[in-house]
Amino acid sequence: MNDQLNKPSSSTGMSRIDGRLKVTGAARYSGEFTPAGMVYGVLVGSTITKGTIKSIDTKAAERAPGVLKVITHLNAPKIAGYQVEPGKPEPAKGTYKLFYNNKVLFNGQPIAVVVADSFERALFAASLVKAQYNTDPHHTSMQDNTGAFAPGGDGTTKRGTVDAWKTAPFKLEQEYIIPSEVHSAMELHAIIAKWDAEDKLTVWTKTQGVQDTRDGIVSIFKLPKENVQVNSKFVGGAFGSALQVWPHEVAAILSAKVVKRPVKLLLGRADMFTSVGYRPYTWQKIGIGATADGKLVGITHEAVGQTSTYEDFNEEPIGVSRSTYACPNVNTIYKINPLDIGSPTWMRGPGEATGAFALESALDELSYALNIDPIKLRLINYAETDPESGKPFSSKYLNEAYKLGADGIGWDDRKQKPASVSKNGWMVGYGMGGGMFGAYRDKAAAKAIMMADGTLIIQTAVSDIGPGTGTAMVTIASDVMGIPADKIRFDMGDSSLPLAPSQGGSSTTATVGSAVYQACTDLKENFQKLIGNGGTDKPDYAAVLKQHNLPKLEITVDSSGGPERDKYAMYSWSVHFVRVLVHPTTGVVKVDKVVCVADSGHIVSPKTARSQIVGGAIGGIGMALMEEVIIDDRYGKLVNNNFADYHVPVNADIPQIEALFVNKPDPYINPMGAKGMGEIALIGMAGAVANAVYNATGKRVRELPITPDKLVGMELELS
Amino acid sequence: MKQFQYTRALTQQSAIDAIAKPGTKIIAGGTNLIDLMKRGVTAPDKLVDINHLPLKNIVATKTGLHIGALALNSVVSENSLVLEKQPLLSMALKAGASPQLRNMATVGGNMMQRTRCTYFYDTTMPCNKRAPGTGCGAMEGINRMHAIFGASDQCIAVNPSDMCVGLAALDAVAIIAGKKGERRIPFTEFHRLPGDHPEMDNHLATGEMIVGVEIPDNNFAKNSYYLKVRDRQSYAFALVSVAAALEISNGVIKNARLAMGGVAHKPWRLFDAEKALIGKPATEESFKQAAQIAMQGAKAYQYNSFKLKLAPATITEALKHAAGLV
Amino acid sequence: MEDEKDHALPGFEAEAKDNSRRNFLKQSTLLTAIALTPGTAVKAAEMGVGEKIAEAFEKMPIKMEVNGVAHSLSVEPRATLLDILREQLDLTGTKKGCDHGQCGACTVHVDGHRVNSCLTLGVMASGKKITTIEGLAKGDDLHPMQEAFLKHDGFQCGYCTPGQIMSAVACIREGHANSEMEIREYMSGNICRCGAYPNIVNAIQEVKAGGQAV
Repeated sequence: MNDQLNKPSSSTGMSRIDGRLKVTGAARYSGEFTPAGMVYGVLVGSTITKGTIKSIDTKAAERAPGVLKVITHLNAPKIAGYQVEPGKPEPAKGTYKLFYNNKVLFNGQPIAVVVADSFERALFAASLVKAQYNTDPHHTSMQDNTGAFAPGGDGTTKRGTVDAWKTAPFKLEQEYIIPSEVHSAMELHAIIAKWDAEDKLTVWTKTQGVQDTRDGIVSIFKLPKENVQVNSKFVGGAFGSALQVWPHEVAAILSAKVVKRPVKLLLGRADMFTSVGYRPYTWQKIGIGATADGKLVGITHEAVGQTSTYEDFNEEPIGVSRSTYACPNVNTIYKINPLDIGSPTWMRGPGEATGAFALESALDELSYALNIDPIKLRLINYAETDPESGKPFSSKYLNEAYKLGADGIGWDDRKQKPASVSKNGWMVGYGMGGGMFGAYRDKAAAKAIMMADGTLIIQTAVSDIGPGTGTAMVTIASDVMGIPADKIRFDMGDSSLPLAPSQGGSSTTATVGSAVYQACTDLKENFQKLIGNGGTDKPDYAAVLKQHNLPKLEITVDSSGGPERDKYAMYSWSVHFVRVLVHPTTGVVKVDKVVCVADSGHIVSPKTARSQIVGGAIGGIGMALMEEVIIDDRYGKLVNNNFADYHVPVNADIPQIEALFVNKPDPYINPMGAKGMGEIALIGMAGAVANAVYNATGKRVRELPITPDKLVGMELELS
Repeated sequence: MKQFQYTRALTQQSAIDAIAKPGTKIIAGGTNLIDLMKRGVTAPDKLVDINHLPLKNIVATKTGLHIGALALNSVVSENSLVLEKQPLLSMALKAGASPQLRNMATVGGNMMQRTRCTYFYDTTMPCNKRAPGTGCGAMEGINRMHAIFGASDQCIAVNPSDMCVGLAALDAVAIIAGKKGERRIPFTEFHRLPGDHPEMDNHLATGEMIVGVEIPDNNFAKNSYYLKVRDRQSYAFALVSVAAALEISNGVIKNARLAMGGVAHKPWRLFDAEKALIGKPATEESFKQAAQIAMQGAKAYQYNSFKLKLAPATITEALKHAAGLV
Repeated sequence: MEDEKDHALPGFEAEAKDNSRRNFLKQSTLLTAIALTPGTAVKAAEMGVGEKIAEAFEKMPIKMEVNGVAHSLSVEPRATLLDILREQLDLTGTKKGCDHGQCGACTVHVDGHRVNSCLTLGVMASGKKITTIEGLAKGDDLHPMQEAFLKHDGFQCGYCTPGQIMSAVACIREGHANSEMEIREYMSGNICRCGAYPNIVNAIQEVKAGGQAV
């Protein structure tokens, strides 16, 4: 095994190509530009949860020093893309339309934007805008069934016999709950909007996809596509929160038009909890049964998730039960419950992270019922082909991942009997949980330009929200072209560059990387043609250009997956191993050791890949131990919309985390043999922690997060 | 944030004169005040910056340790006299906030820190502390973080400080200056219970300012511990915290001090439990009994009943640490 | 005791010392404000809102040394050091992550000590020496902590990174980097949502072990 690539340390491999900009503070994120004449926009949120705006008093704000304009639904210019064709009915559902009418659909919904000449003045003036409302009764609690329904179809699927688990000799049925969680990227969502002409717009905005954002703006404002320029060169984390055009972006664009000056609009941290989506609260029930030797007989997986009243958000958390393990009988039921809250959105491992917490917990519970080691139970039910489609996997080395992880954590030290190990007054427990996520590949294009001085420029419109996309792309280009990375420049985050999809669904390396690979391969081939006689393995590009008197040589290629996708089921897998310490009387849980293993094909960039796995694992620890959005349902309002009350992990919560890679290329997915890892880094982690807590204490927590209050007093309960 | 006037006080007298005027507030570290001003919870017309007054000293006196009101939390927590004589205070300070905030926050400011109750912070919610007469949002609301001791039907908020729990346990005295000169208040009587006036956090009168605290010498340095239980390992407010100090001789407890944080509107000193410990062997059994005594009169609300179990567990655990049993 | 003169700033040292300055100050700062924002001030005057609003224009002169460069600025008392750095001085390396002292992204050094610039009023920082992430490297030579963050990949998105690095440098200077556990505790005032914590700890340990001056 090549330790460098299978077990990288934090210093293994090439450092980030944009790292120097990030460590010197020179990297500019979207709210950090200053076009001439720029002014500041601040949103005003509704203070009720449901109803209509009766009146809105903006006079005091308008009179406040430095204020240029206050825009509300009463004076906002009509937004072309919001308008319904005459004679057609208003659509019942759809994305939220800013300042469209006087309706309030959720607490904190933007009802006005104040534009002023400084941030301080805009913020103060925003506090002076006062609305009167007609209030309607609201529902924000998942305990209120407001008419849960299946999004599309009847919401059920079945393979084999429905509820077959009930016939198994060993079976259990349990409910699992995850509360809603917020992406909480460190960078506040920010946009600067600047109109260059009546129908020509430039924005700097936080987005996971500059071209998708451009297309969104084009459709909302009905502008010519070529007249909208979107820039997002540095993105301060997003995790799914920047995959659509949000109301605050519309507000900035609209205000810039009204005040005829560039407008910068930065969300406050509190807005980040209500205005840019979240992972929905989801209730799940799993019935699972097996034979005495551990063979799964059936799984029934039911889930109900949150959505808003105006949009159907569907993330199918039950999918994991259909595909993860070999099981002849699986049926699923999925519904969403519309509430008077803002819409949820994709959050790292959307659906799968939620589903895997339930499935991996249930499997763990079953392992104790059967008295079979949890890894062994998974191996007994190892899927050699895709259980859902019956297709062969393009590649799957999950069994090797189990072995690597078990060795890494010291699984042999685990005792099958819970609450049987303690050390220095703390109870010790081991747990594991797995994740899977589709390995996708979308369409993309890339341009490769070889300059006269031998510098290679690669261009594509991709964004990098943190995984190190540029670093991976430069690595690919460097490998293909046979030139050092420092001779390669990577241009990105600009909507005028060649086609790239939004960064999401763990597909960037496979999608954009394939385009870069192809562009470089084709460019190199063109050089070989110039050289003639079959070329050479390591061309001196600058010399060839000079010889042929060419200033540069460039090529743009389109790239997409081939028919192999129809023949094979393509997934990435992960398995997380955790050792926890639980204090027997206070219920405090400390994560003591973590080993994560990814089966995600060939590892293109070991340093950044390792960081991605470590980071996802930490997200999973947050999900397991502390993250929870809390709404006071009487007011329909979040009571922990800040970083003091909504806890994400801090440094003290996190031990060293080992990230291991099977690192075997997938022969079919793309030329690099690389599969995604952004989602699988998190999926399965929460289950692993919960399972370790059970192993340590004998107490099963089925409702996240596992805070001390859920464990305190357990020694009394259990004795 | 509302616009305000800003002045720097160069003498204690000028600061005292300034704060006699309505709408005027003192600013020191500002870590809590600026936050509250940003949220519109408070909106002073004028801030008097006292950071340039000579109130930063940490000195040993004949009877104890004097700490100036402007001594930074970080400085106090690392001070050699504090570490030698009152290590419990250092532990309590280090359990609070973050290193950056402790570099800004002062001893006096920490004492003036207001509750972190979400209904107090959110100006759209009812709160008798912020807006008397509007009701208590927490009583029937999300009260997981709230009081189990000493609450009133007006307010169930808790004091968020760790430092104050340590100082309350250590019999500290607050030194207050006003127009009429200086006065001294036992630390345990500096903060108030909410009663009918939850808007008042403490017994500081208008026109008065904190100039320092004094901790009398004691024999607790060897056996003291601050234990804070929270939702994450650092940078979080306490679910429950305990300051425990023991004087042990031949395995027998000669003297004891106990105070709890996260359970009341003020640092909650456990006098009865302390008494119960004296003369007892320093064993887990004694500590558990004391913890039970400490819990007398506790009352929980919908979401904080776990504190009825967590508080005695934390008291016992803190005492075990203090006694060297862990 | 500190020398009061060091902190006595032109224009607003203290009422106790110089009450007579107030009127002059009001006049002069109002003039400054008018010069800065003619349109709005004239509008306010036309509306006859009078002194109450005019007062809100009051800006104060402050002097700060930022990364070795002396700045004389005119700021509203409510402007935070963070917003002054980002919006007035275009030093956007210092980040806004929460604006309430709950994340550490805005960490800078004031007179050598790490603080949250979002909870520091600019007027309070007057007369002080500020170091931001932009002031850490010496020309093209990165600070050892910046090098270590690069080498150990102590970040992903990079947004919390300036605050982490400023905090990490302080962590070593304060003497709080003696063990992994101590570093983890003393770096807990800086949230990283991408989850680079173990790498950050590795970077700090390497710099600490290297013994270079930080």
